[in-house]
Amino acid sequence: MAPLIGRAIMKTIKVGAVAGVLLACGFAGIGAERWADARPCEKEEVPAPPQIKHVFVITLENKSYDDTFGTSTQDPYLRGTLVPMGALLSQYYATGHVSLDNYISMISGQSSTLETQADCASFDDFQLTGVVANGQAVGTGCVYPKRIKALPNQLAEAGYTWRAYMEDMGNDPARESATCGHVPLDAVDVTQQPEAPSAAVPTGDQYAGRHNPFIYFHSIIDTPECDANVVNLNKLDADLGAVRTTPNFVFITPNLCDDGHDGDGTGAPGKGCVTGLPGGLTTSDAFLQTWVPKILASPAYKKDGLLIINFDESATASLTSASANGLTTITATFDGDSCCGQELGPNVTRPATSTFVVSPTLTYDLVTVGVGGDRTGAVLISKFITPGTVSSTPYNHYSLLRSIEDIFGVEHLGYAGQAGLKPFGGDVYAKRGY
Amino acid sequence: MWSLGLGFVVSAASPTASAQDASSAIAAVGRRVFFDPSLSASGRMSCATCHDPAHAYGPPDGSAVRSGGKDLKTPGTRAVPSLRYTLNRTPFFSHEYPSNAIERMVAVESVPTGGFAWDGRHDTLHDQAAEPLFAAPEMANADVRAVADKLARAPYAGELRAVFGADVFDDAGGVVKKALLAVERFELEDASFHPFTSKFDAYLDGKATLSPAEARGLRWFSDPRKGNCGACHRVTPGADGSHPLLTDFTFAAPAVPRNREIPADADPAYFDLGLCGPLRQDLKGDSKGCGSFKTPTLRNVASRRVFFHNGRFHTLREAVRFYVERDLHPERFYPRQNGAVVLYDDLPPALRGNADHVDPPFTRTPGAAPALTDAEVEDVLAFLSTLTDADVEPARP
Repeated sequence: MAPLIGRAIMKTIKVGAVAGVLLACGFAGIGAERWADARPCEKEEVPAPPQIKHVFVITLENKSYDDTFGTSTQDPYLRGTLVPMGALLSQYYATGHVSLDNYISMISGQSSTLETQADCASFDDFQLTGVVANGQAVGTGCVYPKRIKALPNQLAEAGYTWRAYMEDMGNDPARESATCGHVPLDAVDVTQQPEAPSAAVPTGDQYAGRHNPFIYFHSIIDTPECDANVVNLNKLDADLGAVRTTPNFVFITPNLCDDGHDGDGTGAPGKGCVTGLPGGLTTSDAFLQTWVPKILASPAYKKDGLLIINFDESATASLTSASANGLTTITATFDGDSCCGQELGPNVTRPATSTFVVSPTLTYDLVTVGVGGDRTGAVLISKFITPGTVSSTPYNHYSLLRSIEDIFGVEHLGYAGQAGLKPFGGDVYAKRGY
Repeated sequence: MWSLGLGFVVSAASPTASAQDASSAIAAVGRRVFFDPSLSASGRMSCATCHDPAHAYGPPDGSAVRSGGKDLKTPGTRAVPSLRYTLNRTPFFSHEYPSNAIERMVAVESVPTGGFAWDGRHDTLHDQAAEPLFAAPEMANADVRAVADKLARAPYAGELRAVFGADVFDDAGGVVKKALLAVERFELEDASFHPFTSKFDAYLDGKATLSPAEARGLRWFSDPRKGNCGACHRVTPGADGSHPLLTDFTFAAPAVPRNREIPADADPAYFDLGLCGPLRQDLKGDSKGCGSFKTPTLRNVASRRVFFHNGRFHTLREAVRFYVERDLHPERFYPRQNGAVVLYDDLPPALRGNADHVDPPFTRTPGAAPALTDAEVEDVLAFLSTLTDADVEPARP
């Protein structure tokens, strides 16, 4: 279809600590440099978030809500210790499959492209053909042009600080830089597979660029901010030492083992991470057990912090197999469940099928039926949240972005500005926070 | 967490030496072990016999496999790989296991990676170095005691005591282990294993210009629509500017034809299946890996006379053409039986589906245009010739 040319403008007028007015608007023509909108805005009274000024996000990988918070016995710390300390969002949904599009939605509100929903095996520049409603970039590719903004741009403009902490980034300096680690534009992304230990890299390198959304925006990588703020996780300890050294927005991506992406968590031979750890929820739980206490003990968190633990996407899918003419086709189907009226965006279709040819006699079809990334759940901890809170209000990654933007009083990017999308509200924050 | 096992302490033996000095002392004695033929049952074979430094620590001639044992007449089953460039960068053997079962299925690019030897069965060099000491087609020692006795008689026995302690010979197993660790240090530290003196290195440093044919060859080599060689034999500099190693250490199943020069291949029931045996034992149950061998570095490849794990080809031109024409003109590579070409004949019939059809140019089918024309093959050969280090001698026929 011919792309619509336009630009969505959403702005939250944040006033005081009591209430704000949300203006949900349409879009103005491309190049329009005004914050008003072409159509009348709907006024919606929403409560202002509490006086949070430090947000910490830890994103884990590929687990369904039913597994993480239901049947699994591998995450006792998350379920037994952290959930009772804060709020469990039982209807929190991912926004896509298979990984990268989720991360991008969390910090920019941009929806999937054909490439980001396939994890951008090549670090291709985004070929922009237009911008449509809700600021959605139309085109193909991975690395958004400078005019497509992300949360760090907003925070910097508003005078807030941010840093993204990527575990393992730069462990192998031949693989990626220790700051702003990405391969050259249009090159094959060599970080798609974890690197096991070697004599030259004794710890191995399980950094994955596709789990680092910050490198997919020219508005970040073309500035010194990227080297300064997209750093190895080993910088976090020092940064947590004082309020003044702790960024207002902290995004933490564990390595491919510590985020649960790799390994089944059992410790069975051949079913763990490339370092030999069991992986899965077992190892991500250990990661949380290492880092969450440090965060919760930091002066910045104690002062006005919010910790969010979420998952990029769910992993639940169904399998069918069919054979014909000597060719076996195994079809894996993600339901792609979503919430909150999530929109598809201009660049992909649903249902969508990706085909992976393994041999002349075997093919895998990966089918995604719906627009979403299925239900994952999320956990929030803060002094502004009553321990033991459980909210069944539907949220997704766009809600997360909107909530963070509201906290820092900046406008809503992309689908964070979707009409009617609810930020975390009174179901999450204790009333004393309002 | 695995351990590299490299952190052994030597300070007790040389308490005043710095860590660097101690390490270098170990490497120095490791060099003596590496070049010592007296450690073999024949008394005539050292590590360097097959891994000749004059030939990039690869084979000195075009024998598909080399022979060892007490009389140097017991043939091996695989070609000798070069030891240059890869040793310190070879990751432990691994195969990513995503927790998501769906991702495990569709991630066709996620393949086993790393480990030493063609089948990746050793994670460390000291582990790898132990095997030829006892392997029948190689140094063929009867047991650890036999090696320890030879070490005790070696002219560098005093150096072993100096580095590892006066009591190092008290335990046969202990001294052999220490000697292997020393070999490992030599292989990791000695500059002769990574000289970076090829024309291609000079080109990367802006100190040389590729000829038109070499430059075209580099382009065909790298282009995914042409040779696609660079997909595994990585040719782009690292993020830190480090020069490429021409391998990504991944495993692949190119289905190289059976090599009847190898005596073991005379037995129709014998198949060298790489990851799933017979030399590697722990993955025998994983039939998907059968026929897969680790991608070797192509540095110094033009100086070799033996290619692929079984040494089936003896010219680089043949090896490149195999990639281009395997499925377009299979009759040029595979034998006929009852008039029909037996495709992928070095795999058992039930496992011939493991032959790589995913990675170009192996995706092409009979009747398709070749990925490279004859002229482009010559260009690729010209480029590959730029990967030869300044000190390397061409292998003998």
